[in-house]
Amino acid sequence: MGHDEGQSRGRGPLRRGHGPMGVASGPPEGSPATAQLLDARDVKVEIAGVPILKGADLSVKAGELVAIVGPNGAGKSTLVRAVSGMQKPSAGSVFWSGRPLGEMRGRELARRRAFVPQRMPVPNGVSVREAVTIGRSSHLKPLRRLTGEDREGVEHAMERARVTRFADRDLTTLSGGELQRVQIAVGLAQEAPVLIADEPTSQLDLGATIGVAGLLRDLARTGLAVLLVVHDLALAAAVADTVVVVSEGRTVATGAATQVLTSKRLSEVWKAEAHLTEHEGRTALHVAWLQGNDVRSP
Amino acid sequence: MRKLLSLALLLVALCLPATSQAAAPKRVVALTPFSANTLAKLGVTPVAIGQTLGGAERFSPKLKKATVLPLSHPNGPNLEQLASLDPDLVFSSQTWAKGNEAMEELGMDVVVQDPRSIAGAYADTFEIGTIMGRKHYARDLLQQMRKQVEAAEAGIKKRPKVMLILGVGRTPFTFLPNSWGGDIVTKAGGKLLTGGVSSGSGFERISDEVVVAENPDIIIAVPHANEDDIPSLTEYLRSNPAWSSTSASRNGRIHISVDNSLLQAGTDIARTIRKVRSAYLKN
Amino acid sequence: MARRALVFAALVAALLVGVVCSLAFGAVKVPISEVIDIIFGQGGSATDVQIVETLRLPRTVEAMLVGAALGVAGAILQGALGNPLASPDVIGVTGGAGFGAILIIIVLPGSIALLPLTALAFGLLAAATVFAFAWSGRNRGSVGKVVLAGIAVLSLFTAGTTGLLAAFPERAPSAIFFIAGGLTSSGWRDLETVWPYFAVGFLVALFLIRPLDRLALGDDVAASLGSRPQVIRLGAGIAAALLAAASAAIAGLLGFLGLVVPHVVRMAGGTSSHAYVVPASAIGGAALLAGADTLARTLRAPIEMPVGPFMVILGVPLFLWLLRKAV
Repeated sequence: MGHDEGQSRGRGPLRRGHGPMGVASGPPEGSPATAQLLDARDVKVEIAGVPILKGADLSVKAGELVAIVGPNGAGKSTLVRAVSGMQKPSAGSVFWSGRPLGEMRGRELARRRAFVPQRMPVPNGVSVREAVTIGRSSHLKPLRRLTGEDREGVEHAMERARVTRFADRDLTTLSGGELQRVQIAVGLAQEAPVLIADEPTSQLDLGATIGVAGLLRDLARTGLAVLLVVHDLALAAAVADTVVVVSEGRTVATGAATQVLTSKRLSEVWKAEAHLTEHEGRTALHVAWLQGNDVRSP
Repeated sequence: MRKLLSLALLLVALCLPATSQAAAPKRVVALTPFSANTLAKLGVTPVAIGQTLGGAERFSPKLKKATVLPLSHPNGPNLEQLASLDPDLVFSSQTWAKGNEAMEELGMDVVVQDPRSIAGAYADTFEIGTIMGRKHYARDLLQQMRKQVEAAEAGIKKRPKVMLILGVGRTPFTFLPNSWGGDIVTKAGGKLLTGGVSSGSGFERISDEVVVAENPDIIIAVPHANEDDIPSLTEYLRSNPAWSSTSASRNGRIHISVDNSLLQAGTDIARTIRKVRSAYLKN
Repeated sequence: MARRALVFAALVAALLVGVVCSLAFGAVKVPISEVIDIIFGQGGSATDVQIVETLRLPRTVEAMLVGAALGVAGAILQGALGNPLASPDVIGVTGGAGFGAILIIIVLPGSIALLPLTALAFGLLAAATVFAFAWSGRNRGSVGKVVLAGIAVLSLFTAGTTGLLAAFPERAPSAIFFIAGGLTSSGWRDLETVWPYFAVGFLVALFLIRPLDRLALGDDVAASLGSRPQVIRLGAGIAAALLAAASAAIAGLLGFLGLVVPHVVRMAGGTSSHAYVVPASAIGGAALLAGADTLARTLRAPIEMPVGPFMVILGVPLFLWLLRKAV
């Protein structure tokens, strides 16, 4: 299990003076440990003069898995990219553990959040271990060599992402699910308290999706804060502590899955006649796929 | 009977020049300075002469009134302009090979001459004279030229080793004995530095190591440049570290020649030889 | 890891062989023992000392430097643009440098001493033009824009060069050797002028090694790690421009090397990690040019031939053999 490795290395969440990821850090900026790692309010983004995000809120705490859902083009990706510092917001406030986004340089930001894109390009001649080592490079000064601690950090990241067994294989030989887990390992190597994954399961088959979903849930359990952009509402309901619904550039609801993903909201936002059920840890979305076009009615 | 025979012979003799004069071309274009100047010396005024863009050809003062045709790659003259002059004969060079083909298709006779030695220049001069029906003039001219050249070659006291290079750039070509400049310098008493190489084109790029090993007494460079460039070019060559150990460099005997006299066959051969001797070889 | 180290060792060995041959062989036969004596300052005959110290030694150093510079320029451009066909020609440097050199040789022959600097200046100007256009408007610094701007600028300068050659046709032969590309034995004179550009180019390339690895995982991962993809690309472009322009200034227009050497070292070593590819391309490029130059000036001695065909003769069979095994 993921969190066991953390404990056996003495880096578990209970160890005094260390953050959930084993990164030595003092108490967060003068606030209690339950403070928001990310606090974004009323974020607006314009791209080429067109408003994409018209006012969205997002926050996450340590150990919390937040699923961000919404129809295509609603602005989910734009929202997470904006709070990650990869897309400049035109308005709004974004704070990472109390630090304003605008004041932070690349490396400082890299210590606070790791962004895992949907699909990274797969270069030739790069092994899994080499890729994860690249993820570690935000810790390295420009020409400094890797230390033993760095190498350990790389192994640790690979273990947590469950990719150690193909550490020496070339990226080009991996399946979709394996590659996605490697991308997560690359993000984990940054040793930031927040992991942001942009639609990691959209192109995976059922088995691979379950693998990645389980991995993210376990990582959250070890204290990692996870922001997950996801299409599959049943999946979101199953793994998330909090669900944020984004529609037409705004956040329209935030809360527990059952409270947020009501039939009414599904109909308003997704224009779908559907309802969500949960039973013994399994979730299901019941959808009237042929709504209004019931060819079987007599 | 004898009277009739001698009359017949006289008639034939009178007719002969007439026949050859009827065959001599009337409208002649000379695209090379060699052919243009030779024609001038033979008393013929060509309808037009050719001059390359940015070229520094030397023309006889007798040609001052001639129409000038600018020459450029690959045809040489503008073929339409040439055709409008309606020439019977064009003296051209191998450089304008493409243009020569076109000229022949237009019905002109083309004579290509690129003399690369003094002997070759004599032969080509005679050929021009023959074609123009001025064999006698040509013979006289040649006699005169040979005398002048002999005089120019007389009394050579020293035979220094000379490296003659084309272009100043960083990769100069060496003139070999079978090039115009090479022949002139050889006749002027210089021993050409060739590294033991021979080539059909008359030029080769030889290694600086060979230059150092053969240690020339004099280096003459023939760049494509103007008079005012001479001081800076001389300085550049003098400061070339590769040749710094040669006798030429140490004694400051590095010269630049910017006129075309060593590059292209000319008609003032004797003068060229004399200049080489007095200005460069000092023999 | 072992394979990488092995290939690197082989490249270093090849370089040593190339350097030794370059110093030991030439148009004039100098016994190896004497070459060694001269290198270690124990003198020899005056002619031989001049040959080894003033002709062969600087030329060997130039070959190594230019070969390394072009190899590194190709490697960092291929990494930054994410395109296996990238090479210093793509950013317009060779076109600009060619124009600058032809300008001097043909139009201002009196200023021949300024040739390296002029070629360098125009090479950098061409690259700057490419960057300016590629970084303007939408999609700033995208690979597509860089390549298209590079093609346009190259065409522009090539047209200028052709125009000059056509305008002064009898001066053209002097220009041919520069265009064909090749080293000259002019002592340390040229190196003294351009060495700072090599130095800065190599230094920037060194600092780009890790950022380029990050870029290989995509712009998003690079940004996540705190890099700015466009800045990395610009930095790579600048370093490549400096290295390629300085190379053209002293060795004319040498293609092939910057494109092919990085691929050869990648295929041989089985990895694209820039910490290996960049230094290996430097060593490999240096070895290739030193070897090719030696052949170019000894095969038909004392005639010196252009170095381009020999680079191809040495490099292409190896490239094709590795390609067969890799693909």
